[in-house]
Amino acid sequence: MSYHYNEAFENPDYHNSETLESDRRKASQTNSMFRQNPYDSSPYDSYTDHDGREQRQNYSVDIPMATMQPGLEVSQSAKRWGTPNANPYGNTHINHSFEYEPEFMYTPPSTLSTVDGPFARRSSDASEASIVQRRNRQRADPVFTTSSDFDRTDANAAAYNENKESQEEKIIRNLASMTTRERIKAIQKMPKTMKEKREIRNKVLMEKTRKSVSYSTEIHCCTQCMYKIALSYRRFRNGLSELFQSLQLWQKTLKIIGGKFGTSVLSYFVFLTWLLTFNIFSFLVNFSFITIPQFIAAGSNNLSFTGLELLTGAGYFQQTVLYYGFYTNSTITKIENSTSYDMQLAYIFTIGIYFVICFFSLVYSMAKSFRNNFVNPHTYSGNAGKLLCIWDFNITNEKAVRLKQKNLSTQIKEALSEGKSEDLNLSLKQRMVHIAIHLAAWIFSLGTTAVCCTCVYYLSINNLKLFMKGDGTELENQAATLVLPIVVSLLNLLTPFIFSLLELLEKFQYPRNQIYVTITRNVILKMSIIGILCYYWLNIVAISATECWETLVGQDIYRLVVVDFLFCLLGSFFGEFVRRIIGTKCLKNLGVPEFDIARNVLGLIYVQTLTWIGIFFSPLLPAIQMIFFFIIFYVKKVSLMMNCQPPRKVWRASQMTTLFIFLLFFPSFTGVLSVVAITIWRLNPSEKCGPFRGLSSIFDAVSRWIDVLTNYPRSAWVVWIYHNLIESVHFFFILTVIIIIITYLYWQIIEGRKIMVRLLHEQIINEGKDKMFLLEKLRALQTSTRDTPARKGASQQFSTTSSLYQPPGQLDQQRHLSMPNYLERPLEKNKSTFSATPPYTADFPERSGFLPGDPQRQHPSTKPGVSEALALAMRARQQAEREMEDEDEEDFRS
Amino acid sequence: MGNKQTIFTPEQLDAYQDCTFFTRKEILRLFYRYRDLAPQLVPLDYSDKPDVMLPYELISSMPELKDNPFRQRIAEVFSEDGEGNMTLDDFLDMFSVLSEMAPRDLKAYYAFKIYDFNNDDYICKSDLEKTVNKLTRHELTPEEVSLVCEKVIEEADLDNDGKLSLEDFQHMIVRAPDFLSTFHIRI
Repeated sequence: MSYHYNEAFENPDYHNSETLESDRRKASQTNSMFRQNPYDSSPYDSYTDHDGREQRQNYSVDIPMATMQPGLEVSQSAKRWGTPNANPYGNTHINHSFEYEPEFMYTPPSTLSTVDGPFARRSSDASEASIVQRRNRQRADPVFTTSSDFDRTDANAAAYNENKESQEEKIIRNLASMTTRERIKAIQKMPKTMKEKREIRNKVLMEKTRKSVSYSTEIHCCTQCMYKIALSYRRFRNGLSELFQSLQLWQKTLKIIGGKFGTSVLSYFVFLTWLLTFNIFSFLVNFSFITIPQFIAAGSNNLSFTGLELLTGAGYFQQTVLYYGFYTNSTITKIENSTSYDMQLAYIFTIGIYFVICFFSLVYSMAKSFRNNFVNPHTYSGNAGKLLCIWDFNITNEKAVRLKQKNLSTQIKEALSEGKSEDLNLSLKQRMVHIAIHLAAWIFSLGTTAVCCTCVYYLSINNLKLFMKGDGTELENQAATLVLPIVVSLLNLLTPFIFSLLELLEKFQYPRNQIYVTITRNVILKMSIIGILCYYWLNIVAISATECWETLVGQDIYRLVVVDFLFCLLGSFFGEFVRRIIGTKCLKNLGVPEFDIARNVLGLIYVQTLTWIGIFFSPLLPAIQMIFFFIIFYVKKVSLMMNCQPPRKVWRASQMTTLFIFLLFFPSFTGVLSVVAITIWRLNPSEKCGPFRGLSSIFDAVSRWIDVLTNYPRSAWVVWIYHNLIESVHFFFILTVIIIIITYLYWQIIEGRKIMVRLLHEQIINEGKDKMFLLEKLRALQTSTRDTPARKGASQQFSTTSSLYQPPGQLDQQRHLSMPNYLERPLEKNKSTFSATPPYTADFPERSGFLPGDPQRQHPSTKPGVSEALALAMRARQQAEREMEDEDEEDFRS
Repeated sequence: MGNKQTIFTPEQLDAYQDCTFFTRKEILRLFYRYRDLAPQLVPLDYSDKPDVMLPYELISSMPELKDNPFRQRIAEVFSEDGEGNMTLDDFLDMFSVLSEMAPRDLKAYYAFKIYDFNNDDYICKSDLEKTVNKLTRHELTPEEVSLVCEKVIEEADLDNDGKLSLEDFQHMIVRAPDFLSTFHIRI
């Protein structure tokens, strides 16, 4: 797309204000110098047919300097000199380095070539305003800062509009050449008012229809038809997206939470709803492709239902569609001799495809999140970003706003005091102590994790033994199975508290590091517990002599999920409700609790991992998870609203969300994939239950199917794909190599870009320095020139008349400060030579625009030294501009 | 359905859809939100483009803006007359920019305008001071405020002109990923 947001710069105010504050201060002084410059009076008749572009860029220059002199006939003077650009200074302020953006490099409409008429009118209009401004300028400097107001003077309005119109035409032409979708996006992105956008849109549409009509009148009907189809398609698509939007859950609740607690807490709930949609999708897929066919073939269930099963998942549920063991291995046929439904294939493909979809959607959201939020984490800067980006426009609650403001002020105070004390460097000994504490904390946390894992391991083995023996009453047995999940959930709930105690000891310098370290420790804990459990399931339960080990695993996971849910409820009751009661009634300094986002999100990731593992062993687990998430959402919401206060610390929500999605992908989802892969490829399915009974491995079902397919020539391609792609080692080898190469390439590109960014950054800083240097020079120059008018009375007189021909650009402070701008030009072109030579001479050899016979050259310069150099520089620049204009004109003609 | 037709013509709705980041339904919802501010002023039939403008007092009484310290600036920036009085178009425009769908650059442009209190196309020190005071409800001493502002300028001002231009601001925004989610008002 040829234009994007830079459209913003279309506003000429923006360009022309590209001068420095210090320039503005000098505005009145520079004027006096300009006025007495003899070159001002020289008529530049060749400029009368000035290129329109020049005028547009200079539109503000169109008011003659005569307006500074109340008694003079402005319009006359304008006519006499024919052009507003008679003054060399008038032109010089155009900074080509930034003003001529490619998208605006277009030739002007012809209306602009008639300079005289509108010009005279404009100048008289402006005279009054400019006088006032002129006085203001001389009286008080601060007025200059409100320069953009001056742009709106009547005098400029006409030129401004013309300028705008022609730019608009250009935009419209651009837009008309785009596809509908691109065009809409482009229009949406324009930083303009709705009215302007709509006008542009209408014009584009008109242009488009005109074009299509002018192509050929014969196919007019056809295009009309196409247009209608396109329109209805667009409306349909909009309707569809509306439908999707209305499907999004809890928009209102999310808004309330965001309004009261800000984006950080909101991110937890957004994450929760995101996981919920994952589970809903998973449930729909599993239910429709696995469970419904099974219902058709299901036998009767003669186990009794007591109610405790809801907690343990055993007993009655064993013979339901909840577990793997209940599914049949036969093909299901409702009507004789019709196509049958192969349960084995349905089971394996449904779950396989679900995981593939999950994989891609996770990768997609992760990539999107990374792109948006981790733009360049190294350069994340503190104060500036914090201050101007920190305000959370989501917050709409008065109390929350107050609290946020209070927190912000304490944060700023802290940051300021930190800035003062940061210089204190830690001594070697202190540093050693710090490192030792960190090390000890890490050893302690890893040790705790190891202890937890061993505990879980022995307990689980014990659990299996208990199940195998099966002595004692039914109730005892069932209660015994609950020991493992309860212990696991307790460990999951309590160990993070121990870890958070470690934080107090460690005293991190940056809160950011503290958050990351705590999250890492918790993730290690949770994932190793799940890892140990997986080891137990796949290596111990799977080879044990149980009747149906898959169902056993499914039950285990069911129990873990249910108990974890209960603990989650208890956690929000004790952790938030009771804590608030204590905080408000007993220990007042504890205060109202805050919502611990990291802990809660990690809990969600843990449960989701379990659910994914469980999908294979218990296809309807997502349904249960769905219900639980639903309940958790409401419980957490109520608990949050009742008990918590908005977080005090800065929580970089978007980066954290990215991190959590990444965590969900990396240890969690990839771990699940490997567990499922081992189950499918390596393990022996149970002999007497489940859809894969009697096979040596679950994947055998697919190979058998392929064997069957080889008999049908019509499905040869499936066989070919299977043999050459899925089973082939070579294919995967080549694929891996290609992916590694691509990754390497991208990595290199990133490295290159990093260097580029660094260089550009340095360049910007250098440019700034150059600018400052030039300004210093300029100031020195101005102080030396200011003396001269006082000395030379004659030249003063001359200057008053010559000021007639001063371009009106001086009306606008930011515009007439041409000095730094024209000096910038040599800076750009001869950057290397620049530092060695004075700025105003640097460009001379290149543009020898002044011939010896040039009349300007003969003019006596008031000062031989500096001002001559200045004059020369300006002449050179003018010459260059004239050349450029000629070129442009040629372009225009051609 | 019938209700929709009476408010806007299909062409109007299409135009609104093309010019904002909203769907048809959201546009209608926003219209009702707009109308709820002054039911006696805003007609239910917009097909003949009535010239209705709600004063700033009404706009700022919206719950979404009521407690926002920048509400006046927001209204001023998005209103066509620059004084916070809004037509329906301005209103839609405002929430379109503040919606989730708006790209970073567009948001940055308007955020810049909001923080540019004196409309000089630069965020200078006085603008920053105003911003800080609004952010902290005047809880900082003037010395602290000016210290903070100096730091911010020092950090974000790339071309050393002592104030933040739009480019400086954008550069800063790129490095602050939270901006996208925080410069967002849910409807």
